[in-house]
This record gives sequence, C-alpha cells and structure tokens, in this order.
Amino acid sequence: MAETKEITTREKQQLSTSQEQTRPGRYYVPAVNIYEFDDTLKLWADMPGVKESDVDIMLKDGVLTLTGKLGTDMYAGLRPLYTEYNVGNYYREFALNEDIDESRIKATLRNGVLELDLPKKEHAKPRRIEVRSS
Amino acid sequence: MAILSVEQALDPVSALLSLQNELERFMRNPAFEMGVSGYGVYPPINIFDSAEGATIVAEIPGLDPAKLEVVGQGHTLTFSGERSFSANGNGWHRRELSEGQFSRSVQLPDDYDVTRAEARYEAGLLIVRVPRAEHAKPRQITVQTA
Repeated sequence: MAETKEITTREKQQLSTSQEQTRPGRYYVPAVNIYEFDDTLKLWADMPGVKESDVDIMLKDGVLTLTGKLGTDMYAGLRPLYTEYNVGNYYREFALNEDIDESRIKATLRNGVLELDLPKKEHAKPRRIEVRSS
Repeated sequence: MAILSVEQALDPVSALLSLQNELERFMRNPAFEMGVSGYGVYPPINIFDSAEGATIVAEIPGLDPAKLEVVGQGHTLTFSGERSFSANGNGWHRRELSEGQFSRSVQLPDDYDVTRAEARYEAGLLIVRVPRAEHAKPRQITVQTA
C-alpha cells in the first residue's frame, strides 16, 4: 500500500466568466471529484461553510449547475487579524454526456462536501453484448 | 469595531461583500506573527479577534470528525487530521479534491488563553475559539478627583 501523502494547499479558484454576475462579490469554483459507475455518476464538491438549505442543484438541457450560497452569520462581531483565504458563494457548471434520470438524482451535504448521485437512464447503462459464434 | 453588525441583518448581499473586502485587507497580514508554520501549509486559516477572544477558522471540508485532532500547548494550537476517499478503480473523470494527512500549528500572542480553547467542526470548517487571557482583558480605570 502506498504511504499516506501530505495534503498540499490549493489556491481557491475564483470564477471567471465573460458575463458579469448580477450580484456583486466573488464567486469560487468548487473543486470536484467525479466517478463513474455502471449505473450512476457520483460527484463530490467541496463547499466549506455552506449549509444544506443554501445549496441549489439544477439539471437542464444536459447542463448540471451547482450553486452554494455562503452564510455570513458566523462572522458577526469578528474582526480579522490575519487571513489566508477569502470566502464567497460557489458556482460550477458541467455538461453531462450521459443521459441522467433527473427524477432520481440524490444530493447530500456532509461536512462541507456536496455529494451527488446522478443515476443514468435505463437505456444509457452499458450493456454487455455477447458475441455469438455461428 | 465589529464588521457585519447592523447591515448584516438587513442585507445579506452587502454583508458578504463587506466580509470579502475585510478578509482581503488582512491577507497575509505581516503585522501578525504567525510562528511555527505559515502561509502555504494545509489547511488555510483565517484568524479573527472579538470582544471574547480569538477565533481561528480553517477550511477543511470532508473530514471524518473522528480523525480530526486539536491540541493546545503553551501558546501553540496544533490541528491535524486525514482525508481519504474509498472509491477505487478506473472510473475517475475528475479528481481534484485534496487527499492525505495534514498537521498545522498556529502560535497565538500571549493575550489569549490556549488552555481554555474550544473547537468545533461545522460545515467543513474547523472553528477554534480561544478566550482572552485574564491579564489581557480590558479594565475600566476610575478617574479620581482631588
């Protein structure tokens, strides 16, 4: 087994779009892991500081949009002394190649990580085709 | 001197904007003596002050709380942990999330009492509150008249 490596710090990536957002302020692009299983696509997105009620997931015309709004309540009364990262809302879009069954999408938010289960539609599942010899 | 005091309740949009501006203003503030391990070590941290004491916030999403350890010694706080993923195989489309072990120490000024620190893990944030030391609390000084 490989030795456990040390985590390195990644700069948070700020969202850059050609269009301007209507709300002022910074948006960040959440880092994701995506894993494909035979019948489903699993996605994990880091959204530290976001509460369950402030996550929005949308699938339209094959485009999956993830939005996380950051609450600022916990910062009330706090005065910064030293900072290393900034905070903001999260936003990221993906074009899905697979046909996803929208009605069965499941999402959970745990410890600041959004976990998405995107089940494939029946016809999009891989099927083993047997080769018959004559 | 509290940021986000009154307008917070009225307007969440400008609350976030003013928070972002405040955080930017103190980015890697050289006036704050960091001690053992500085910028670039995982996880990134922000340090705040308030009437009660210091608050350290670290973004460490996806941890198993059982694998997170916070130790206070002298004026130094050390937090360490591990993040891992169990999925194996060749089905990865993207793999951007950090994995592995980390350990980071923060040295606080003498004004804070590390022995009374309290930590909680919430929405992927480690929040450690360190109360102000008795000797550093503000005292009212009575003005005497002759």
